[in-house]
Amino acid sequence: MSSPQSTPGTPLRLVLTSLLRADFTVFLKNRRGLLLSIILPLFILATTNSSTSTHNFGGALFIIGLAIAYGLVSASILGYALTVARDRDQGVFQRLRVTPAPTWTIMTSRLTMQGLANLLITLVVVIVGSRLHHISLSAGTYGLVLLVSILGGAVFLSIGQALVGLVRSAESVNAAGRVLTIGLILLGTFGQSGTLGPTWESIARWSPVGAVMTLFAAVLNLSTWDSHDSLNLLVCGGYIAVFAGIGIRWFQWDAR
Amino acid sequence: MIGAGGLAWIDEQSRSSRPEYVSDTGLMSDDPDLVRRDWSSARSVEPLAEVIAGELFARISVPDRLETVEDAHGVAELIAEAVLDRFVVSPRPAERGDRQVARADAPDADVILEVRDLSVAYGAKTAVDGVSLRIARGEIFGLLGPNGAGKTSTLSAIEGLIKPQSGTVFLDGVDIRRHPSQAKAKLGVQLQATSFQSQLTIRQIVRLYAGLYGVAPSDAEITEGLKEIGLEDEASKPFKQLSGGQQQRLSLYVAVMHRPALLLLDEPTAGLDPQSRRQLWSRIENIRQQGGSIILTTHSMEEAEAVCDRVAIIDHGTLLTAETPKDLIEKHKDDPEVRKVAHGEVTLEDVFIGLTGSAIRE
Repeated sequence: MSSPQSTPGTPLRLVLTSLLRADFTVFLKNRRGLLLSIILPLFILATTNSSTSTHNFGGALFIIGLAIAYGLVSASILGYALTVARDRDQGVFQRLRVTPAPTWTIMTSRLTMQGLANLLITLVVVIVGSRLHHISLSAGTYGLVLLVSILGGAVFLSIGQALVGLVRSAESVNAAGRVLTIGLILLGTFGQSGTLGPTWESIARWSPVGAVMTLFAAVLNLSTWDSHDSLNLLVCGGYIAVFAGIGIRWFQWDAR
Repeated sequence: MIGAGGLAWIDEQSRSSRPEYVSDTGLMSDDPDLVRRDWSSARSVEPLAEVIAGELFARISVPDRLETVEDAHGVAELIAEAVLDRFVVSPRPAERGDRQVARADAPDADVILEVRDLSVAYGAKTAVDGVSLRIARGEIFGLLGPNGAGKTSTLSAIEGLIKPQSGTVFLDGVDIRRHPSQAKAKLGVQLQATSFQSQLTIRQIVRLYAGLYGVAPSDAEITEGLKEIGLEDEASKPFKQLSGGQQQRLSLYVAVMHRPALLLLDEPTAGLDPQSRRQLWSRIENIRQQGGSIILTTHSMEEAEAVCDRVAIIDHGTLLTAETPKDLIEKHKDDPEVRKVAHGEVTLEDVFIGLTGSAIRE
């Protein structure tokens, strides 16, 4: 009880700073999860480096887009959603909620850290991918890629939020998250390559992974931007609105 | 005290318009000093009962004798109904089932927490049903009840963790539903199952929660604080590596480091060894001496009897009674249900079992 007495109204800046500092510490200590989210896209980049593979996936830019999308799927669904579900199971959120911190600050801090992780994954994949596929990118393109990574990350974070909104226990979120991640990756890989036929190719193109990877490919070569890419931008916005809406509407702070 | 004239006034006012003041126990008068009185205790109500009885006998003609005791009970019940209709604003016991509904009122006007007609429901299941209580500054108040009685739900509603179906919670005059952040800044909470982020060290946890309560302690202040609770050597360890007693000490420290006006402890001694329990009660007593009020839930009747100024017994979501432990035992020591379970001198546990039943709850 030696600490100084609190002010009557807790300053919002101090609340947000405290939450961000704690979540950043957790982010740094979760290096293994972050590494796994980077290794998967790097593996994709390495295994699709041949000219045949590059051609099958629509070119090097699409492969980089696909690799980034996979990294974001992995980080958002297996990383973010599972961490939220575990903390909810353990009562971490309930402990935070009895403090004066508004609930939106708790989630904003978490999403900010996940956004940071998404930017890091995107940067690493773009740098490695451009080297492997001998593409030179301008500073402006890097800026656009980072912007799209925020948008793409938001698509998969909203899916992760919907997952923890609809599924209560951490075990169930883990299981459902793995199935969802594998499903999205397979749909992206085989659907986009045309192996499963035109119907699946079309489904894959407008799936969250397909929409995000197409956007990445488009900003990596901005001169080819067309109405299809603009439509993709709208589709991504739609995914964010729908899944975030579900995730916020049905999210429970307590697992019971 | 209400005199014969006062009663006549109430009679007249109730016919024409609502009186100006209504006390928390439901008594009405034009005199604010009158309604501030604690009319909930039997001793305070006794003079009022005498006045009412006197007025009744003076105004109406009654037979000299009633034939049977049952007849006398019948008349008494009718009079009681009339008194309830006339004086009591809050729902009558009969409207909440057959169980006796108690109001736990602080004897002091210096109220830190006021809960009015709180009801909490989970779907179709009612967990808390019209609970009202007032806690005074510096008071240690025990909320007792079997498993699933509604203790944690009541605390959760006070903490703002769940939205009550109805009722209000005022913490130091602040409505917790309208101004949650302001109210929570005055509240310290130790939950039944506390967990902090597993990747954070003790020092980082203290810094985080201090910030959330608007306190920005220096490293030296954190070290000093951890030293006070004997955790200075554990400052770099994660919470999960602490023993049960250490975890409990840290949870309590985090709950009180902003010096809350009211501290809520949900089963704080569960799973602690006797040494840790003794130390915890000593810390709780220190908090009270510094002016803090405490509400705690516990299954240990001995601890409640030893530590709490007043205890309330809650069952099936309804507050059955709220008294000092001594008064509670005194009041119920001759109840047949209590006598049945007592072995020798009646204890608080005997009263508890007598009031809530012997059946094991899930």
